[in-house]
Amino acid sequence: MSEPVLSVENLSLRYRVPGGTVAALRSVSIAVRQGEVLGIAGESGCGKSTLAAAMIDLTGANAEITSGTVRLRGQDILSLSRDSRRRLRGREIAMVFQDPMTAFSPVLTVGEQLVDFQFNINDVPRREKWIRAQHMLARVGLTDPDLAMSRFPHELSGGMRQRAAIAAALLMRPAVLIADEPTTALDVTMEAQIVHLLRELQADYRCAIVIVTHHLGVIAELCDRVAVMYAGEVVEEAPVDVLYHDPRHPYTRALLACDPALIEEATGRLPAIGGRLPDLAHPPPGCAFAERCRLSTERCRIVPPPRVALGPDRSALCHEVAP
Amino acid sequence: MTALLTIDDLGVDLALGGWFGAARRSLNILAGVTLDLKPGETLGLVGESGSGKTTLARAVLGLQQITGGSVRFEGSDLARPADFRAIRRRTALMFQDATASLSPRMTVGEAVTEPFAIHRIAIRNHHEKAAELLAEVGLPPEMAARYPHELSGGQARRVGVARALALKPVLVIADEPTAGLDVSVQAEILNLMSDLKARHGLSYMIITHNLALVRHVADRIAVLYLGRLVETGPTRAIFAAPRHPYTQSLIAAEPKPDPRKRRTDLAIRGEIPSILRRPVGCEFNTRCPLAQDICRAEPPALNDLGQGRAVRCHFAKDITEGGRHELEH
Amino acid sequence: MSSGGRFRALRALLADPMGTLGLGLVLLFVAMALFAPWVAPADPIKLNVVEKFQPPSLAHFAGTDHLGRDLLSRIVFGARTALSIALTSVGLAGLGGLILGMIAGIGPRWLDAVLVLMFDSMSSLPMIMFALAVITIVGPGTGTLILVVVLVSIPAYARLIRAQTLGLAGADFIVAERAMGASSARILFRHLLPNVVGPLVILLSMDVPVVIMLEAGLSYLNLGVRPPTPSWGNILYDGYTSIRSAPYMVLVAGLPLVLSTLGFTFLGEGLRDALDPKLRRGEP
Repeated sequence: MSEPVLSVENLSLRYRVPGGTVAALRSVSIAVRQGEVLGIAGESGCGKSTLAAAMIDLTGANAEITSGTVRLRGQDILSLSRDSRRRLRGREIAMVFQDPMTAFSPVLTVGEQLVDFQFNINDVPRREKWIRAQHMLARVGLTDPDLAMSRFPHELSGGMRQRAAIAAALLMRPAVLIADEPTTALDVTMEAQIVHLLRELQADYRCAIVIVTHHLGVIAELCDRVAVMYAGEVVEEAPVDVLYHDPRHPYTRALLACDPALIEEATGRLPAIGGRLPDLAHPPPGCAFAERCRLSTERCRIVPPPRVALGPDRSALCHEVAP
Repeated sequence: MTALLTIDDLGVDLALGGWFGAARRSLNILAGVTLDLKPGETLGLVGESGSGKTTLARAVLGLQQITGGSVRFEGSDLARPADFRAIRRRTALMFQDATASLSPRMTVGEAVTEPFAIHRIAIRNHHEKAAELLAEVGLPPEMAARYPHELSGGQARRVGVARALALKPVLVIADEPTAGLDVSVQAEILNLMSDLKARHGLSYMIITHNLALVRHVADRIAVLYLGRLVETGPTRAIFAAPRHPYTQSLIAAEPKPDPRKRRTDLAIRGEIPSILRRPVGCEFNTRCPLAQDICRAEPPALNDLGQGRAVRCHFAKDITEGGRHELEH
Repeated sequence: MSSGGRFRALRALLADPMGTLGLGLVLLFVAMALFAPWVAPADPIKLNVVEKFQPPSLAHFAGTDHLGRDLLSRIVFGARTALSIALTSVGLAGLGGLILGMIAGIGPRWLDAVLVLMFDSMSSLPMIMFALAVITIVGPGTGTLILVVVLVSIPAYARLIRAQTLGLAGADFIVAERAMGASSARILFRHLLPNVVGPLVILLSMDVPVVIMLEAGLSYLNLGVRPPTPSWGNILYDGYTSIRSAPYMVLVAGLPLVLSTLGFTFLGEGLRDALDPKLRRGEP
C-alpha cells in the first residue's frame, strides 16, 4: 500500500465565538493516497468543511488549531512559514468550492484568470499559458473553450462555471484536489455530468481527490473510501462498498436508513434521527452520538468511545461495535 | 371526484423592458400546462432550475399574472379578483427559503398569528394561539419570542408550516420544502407534513427537483421542462416506466447511494437551454437521445396514454415500457 | 424574555458604551434646548457693556462677549436655535424622503422614472451655491435655512428608501404576505416601513450635526440666523472678530459644536447596531 499523499493526524481545531469556543474538529485523523478518491460525509455542523479548509490551510481568522498535524508527502505543512504554505496552495493542493462563482473574480474574464492562476510557472510566455488554459477547458468538457475564455464568470451557466473552476484547480497539476460540495448547487443532470467528469479526470491525472459532501449518492458514485463525520469527529471510516453494505457505527446506519433514495418501497413516513447535534461549545464527555443512539448505555455518556479497528482501512468510534 | 384545483392550458409570458407600455417584448415562461389536483392528493411538480416550476406555483396562487388559460380553485376562477381573498384563506404557500419568508423584524409568535390579523379573524389570546400553532408542528412555546435569524433551518421550516396551516387551508403549495436540510431533518419535516395532511385532510402541491423524495411523498407527479409539461401520471407508474426521454434521463441521472450500482455512461448531456433561446420544435430536442427531424420542426402535443398518464413527445406511443433503446436503431 | 421589540432595541443601545455616550450627549443638548430659560443663568440678549470681555469666572461660567452678554446663556439658547433648526429640517426632509422614496419604489415604473429624474437633478446642484441663491431670493433667516436643508436632503433620503424598497419588494417574506392575502396597506406599513426606516433613522441621526454645522457656518457668514438671536455660529463669529482680546470665546462656542456632532454620530452608529435584530448584542 502506497504512502499517503496527504494525511491529517489528531487534528483538533476550535473557532473563537463571542463567549467562548466551539470545538469544530476533535482529534481527526484521515489520510488520502495517490490516485485515491476519499469521501468525507456528514450533515451540516459535523466539521467536514472545516476539515477540508484545514487540509488546504484556509481556515478562517477565528479558527485556532489546538493540536495535530497536516502532512503533505510526509512534511508537516502547519510548521512551514506562511509564505511556503501559500506556495503549496494551487500548486500542490487545489480546491473546488460549492459555489463556483467564488473561485473567480467577477471583474476579469475567465481566460485572463486562468492565465493568472499560472503565475507560479516562470519562463513560460503568456501565449503558452493561454493555450494550456484552452486545453484544460476542453478537457473538462467545455465545447467552445475560446468563447468561454472571453466571457466573464457570470456569463457562464452554473454547470460551465463549475467545469471552469475544476479546470482552474487542475491547471497546476496538483497532487491533491479538494472539492467541497462540488455538485450541491447544480441540478441532477449537471451533477451526474460533474461526477462523471471528476471520475475521468482522476483516472487521467492520478491525483488524490477529497470529496466533501452530504450527498451519499455522490460519494457512492465517486469514492474509493469514505469517512463519516459527526460532531467534529470521524466516527466511521471504511472502503466505500463496505460502508454502504455493512455500516457498523450506529450513526452511519441511521444516516443511510434516512436516505429516501435507499428506501425501495415508496412510503409516506421516512425514518429520521431524533434529537439534535450536541452543543460543541461544551462537547459531551462521552460519545457525541450517545443522546441520539439506540444502542447507547450509561458508559457511552461518560466514557469517550474507543476507535475500534474492524479490518484493513476500517474503523469505528464506538463502545458498542464489535471488532 | 371533482377536482380541488384545475389548471387548464395555463400560459405565463413575462413582459420585457419597454417604456410607458410601448415596444414591449415578451418572454414565454409557461405554456399549455394542464393539470388537476383532487382533494387529499399530493402532486409532485418536478423539474430542474429554469423549468418554470416556481412560476407555476405562483401563478396558481395568483401571485403571478397569467397570460393564457385558466386556474380554477374549488370552482372559482382565479382571474376574478372578487374571489381572491377567499382563495387566499383556503390556500397557503411554503417557501424554499423558510427563513427569508418570515418578516425579519417580527417574532415567530407574531408571524404565526399574522394570518388571523390579515383576514381580520378575532383570536382571544395571541400567546395561546401562537403556542397552540407551534405545538402542532412540534415546537416549544418559548420559540414564539425568537426572531427568524435565530432559528435553525429545520425550526424555520416548522414555523413556515405552522403559519401555512394557521387558517386551516385545504391546499398547501410547498416550494422545495426540504431544500438545504440534512437528510435526518428532511425526514422529520416530511413526516410532519404527512401527519398534518392526514389530520386536516390537506392537498399538497410539492415542487422539487429531488426525485428520491417525490417518489415517497407524491401520489402523482408532473414533470416540467423549459415551461412545458412533458409527462404526468401516477408516481409509481412513472418511476416504474418513464415514457418521456427527459423523465427517463432525469431518473437515470439521480446518483444511487449504492457503490454497486455505479453508472458507466451518462444518461443526459448538456444543460437546460436558456429561456431566451427556446429551441424550435420540441423543447427537449437539443438533449434528447432520440431526437428526429420532426422534433426540431414541430412542437409535440400532450398525448393522453390513458390511466391518468400523458406524455408530450412525438414518439410517446412508440417508447414503451421497455425504455428508450427501442428507437435507437 | 418579553416580546417588546422596542425595549430590546433600547437595551441593546445601552449595552454599547459609544451608543450610551451618544444618547447621553444628545439628551443633554435636548434638555438644554427645552429648558433653556431655566438652565441659563442670565438673559442671553441683555447687553451689559460694562462687563464686556470678561473671561470665565464664578459670575459668568463661560465669560462674556464684546457686548457683555453672558456666554453660557447664549450657548444654552444657541442649543435651542441649533436643535430646532436641525431637527425640524432633518425631520421634514426624512419624512419627505420616506414618502417619495416609497412611492418611487412601489409605484408604477413611469412615476419611478420621473421621481428619479427629479432626485438626480436636485442633487446635481452644488449645495452651497443653491443655499446662497435661495437666501438671496428669500432673504436670510430660520425659515430659509430649513427650506434649503429640506430641499437639498430629500433626494439622498428618497434614494436610500427607494433602493431599500425595491430590494425588499421581491423578497420572499413580502411575497409570503401577498400569498396570505395581506392588503397593500398592511404590506406597506407593517412590513416594508419597519424594514426601510431603520437605515433612514441612522442616516438622519448622522445628518443632524451636518445641519448644525451648516447653520453655524451660514450664521457665521451672517446669512443664517439673524442677530441678536443666539446661535453657535453667531457666537463663533463674534469670537473670531475678537480672538485677540478674548480667545476663550472661540473655544466656548466651538465646544458644543464638537460635542453635539460626536453625540449624534455615536447615537447613529449605536442605533444602526441596535435596530437590526441581526446585529444586536447581548442577546441569547
